[in-house]
Amino acid sequence: MQGQEAEQSAPVRAAIDIGSNTVHIVVAHCMADNLDILADEVDMTRIGESVNATGEISQQKQDETIAVLCKYKTLAEQHHAVQVLVVATEAIRKAKNKDEFLAAVERETGLHVQLISGDVEAVLTFYGATYELYREAHPPSRVGVMDLGGGSTELIIARDRHMTWRTSIPIGSGWLHDHYLSANPPTHDDLADAQQFLRTYLKRLNLKRMPSVLVSTGGTANSLLLLARKAFRLPEQEYQLTYDDVLRAEGVMSALTAEDVAHRYDQPLGRARILLAGTLIIAAMMEQFHLKSIRVSSHGIREGLLLARARYGEGWLQQVEEISKQTGNQGKSKQQEGEPGEAFEHSGKRILKDRVEKFLEECDKVLHNEGEDIEPVHKLRVASRRLRAALDAYQSCCEPKLFKKVYKRVKDGADKAGAVRDTDVMLQGLHAQLEKGPEDQVAGVHWLIDHLKLYREQQQQALDDFLQSLDGDALQHDVEASITKGAATNG
Amino acid sequence: MAKARVVTGLDCQETTGANARIIAMIRLEEMYRQAKYADHPYDVQGLHNLRIAAKRVRYTLEVFEEALPAACKPIVDELEQLQDELGAVHDSDVMIALLRLCLASQDSGMAYEQALAQVSKQHAKGKLMVPPELVAKLVESSTLPTDEERHALEQLLQRRIQRREEEYAAFQQHWQQLAERDFRRQVLEVLDS
Repeated sequence: MQGQEAEQSAPVRAAIDIGSNTVHIVVAHCMADNLDILADEVDMTRIGESVNATGEISQQKQDETIAVLCKYKTLAEQHHAVQVLVVATEAIRKAKNKDEFLAAVERETGLHVQLISGDVEAVLTFYGATYELYREAHPPSRVGVMDLGGGSTELIIARDRHMTWRTSIPIGSGWLHDHYLSANPPTHDDLADAQQFLRTYLKRLNLKRMPSVLVSTGGTANSLLLLARKAFRLPEQEYQLTYDDVLRAEGVMSALTAEDVAHRYDQPLGRARILLAGTLIIAAMMEQFHLKSIRVSSHGIREGLLLARARYGEGWLQQVEEISKQTGNQGKSKQQEGEPGEAFEHSGKRILKDRVEKFLEECDKVLHNEGEDIEPVHKLRVASRRLRAALDAYQSCCEPKLFKKVYKRVKDGADKAGAVRDTDVMLQGLHAQLEKGPEDQVAGVHWLIDHLKLYREQQQQALDDFLQSLDGDALQHDVEASITKGAATNG
Repeated sequence: MAKARVVTGLDCQETTGANARIIAMIRLEEMYRQAKYADHPYDVQGLHNLRIAAKRVRYTLEVFEEALPAACKPIVDELEQLQDELGAVHDSDVMIALLRLCLASQDSGMAYEQALAQVSKQHAKGKLMVPPELVAKLVESSTLPTDEERHALEQLLQRRIQRREEEYAAFQQHWQQLAERDFRRQVLEVLDS
């Protein structure tokens, strides 16, 4: 009874999260370690669709989101919420027009939206997904959390209620569906390819061993639980999914169209389309970590936000940021003893250094080429491509700002060399045409060659100007600093 | 074609071989995401994107050559061949676009400005491959081709269109062969070894 009274007297707050697919609200009496949920609603707005297609949040998506937020604000008021907290995540982070969007939301709804980082998102998700588990009489010491989203999967390990490790894998249900399972229903070969990809990919990640208790949150896990309850008559109060349940669900969905899955198991069609892909990821994770079952939680970032606010007060964001820094991102698993091979960071430093040197060497040769030899520009272009390929490969180990600066300089050089080289290729082709082509084309080929030569001169001048202004020492320094600083941050 | 996607989830302290396999797999998936364009002979941009994606797989395998299995070498060769085939198609597409712009721009008085505006717009969006400065150079009114040169340019255009058909056919035949032997799975198996 005392507990119930405490819940009733705890302040009511609302938490809204604006995600890639949905806008979701939870209203609850909030305590530091528990929530008494009064309302829980979700609307599919699919902002991510617009951002993925154009890089921006469309006017239509913005209007829809504002309408949903107005509705949620009213809902929060109906429950006498003393505060409405709103956070936005990946889709908004990626949108080029995020500032305009956030300003419009604030102007139209009076709600301030906090754009949070992936690190903060992970901490809040962890809080939300595990708070019920930690209220049990004997919670496990080590707990894993898997937040399976459309574009990525977050994995977290905690010991004694504190996050100790986390990583983000760029594979989610939507991603896997789009890459492998677009046939409806999927073909046997597509399924085999997707499973092989997942097995190979996860094996190579060398992830930490998960604790035997894994809490799975996100749309896939919850939809899969609903499907299993319906299809296999699991009890309504059952929140565990065994490996066998997952395999059976996979088998059922493999044989049905998305429309059938939606119809038979009361799933929204949009969810039904990607549910099999998400299920394959869950199955692969369970195999990878030798898990017999997973525990599904319908809670996540919103509940975590309410708990964080109750624990840390108005300074919740700073506190959560601090906690996320202590945990850090990326698997910290060090190279296994006895495993041969150079560490990624070391090979990155070595390869990037070699390729920058080669690039600068070729820059020098172009600048000192006074004849009509077209090879130096060709070699410079090849060197610039090889350097860019290495930069692309090691980007995740580099400090983002310095990396961007370096990449832009190399790309500028590559573009200018490319303009000259492309013209050389056209000219070579036309000269070959003159030698062996029919007579009736000769006049046209000459006309074209004359004009292309003039254009080439202009482009060569632009390339020379660029090369003369290029500070090679600074470029070398920035490349080295970028990977050194980045590796120190990323572990 | 957008910049290569950043591959997350890597561990800088992990071996190069382990991370290289992950990057290569992601680049392979990105390539197969563009595979639908292989059967669209006139989707110039789609074929261009497929070429760039294939190039990224090849470059990834080359960057990490020392850390990956030796069996990657024949894969690199196949990718290089694909890249050459699609490169030939692309070069023809550039030349065809250029010749069409030249010829069309001389059909009406305002056409130069129109051609230039159209190319500038497409180029800014990264959609087409003919730089506006090159179009400007070729369609300046003071240097228009004579009737004889114009006729020759028409012939050149027709020949190039034929050649492009042949180049696309060569690419598609190769692509089909790769599909028949399940190249995608072969690459994954090599990366898994």
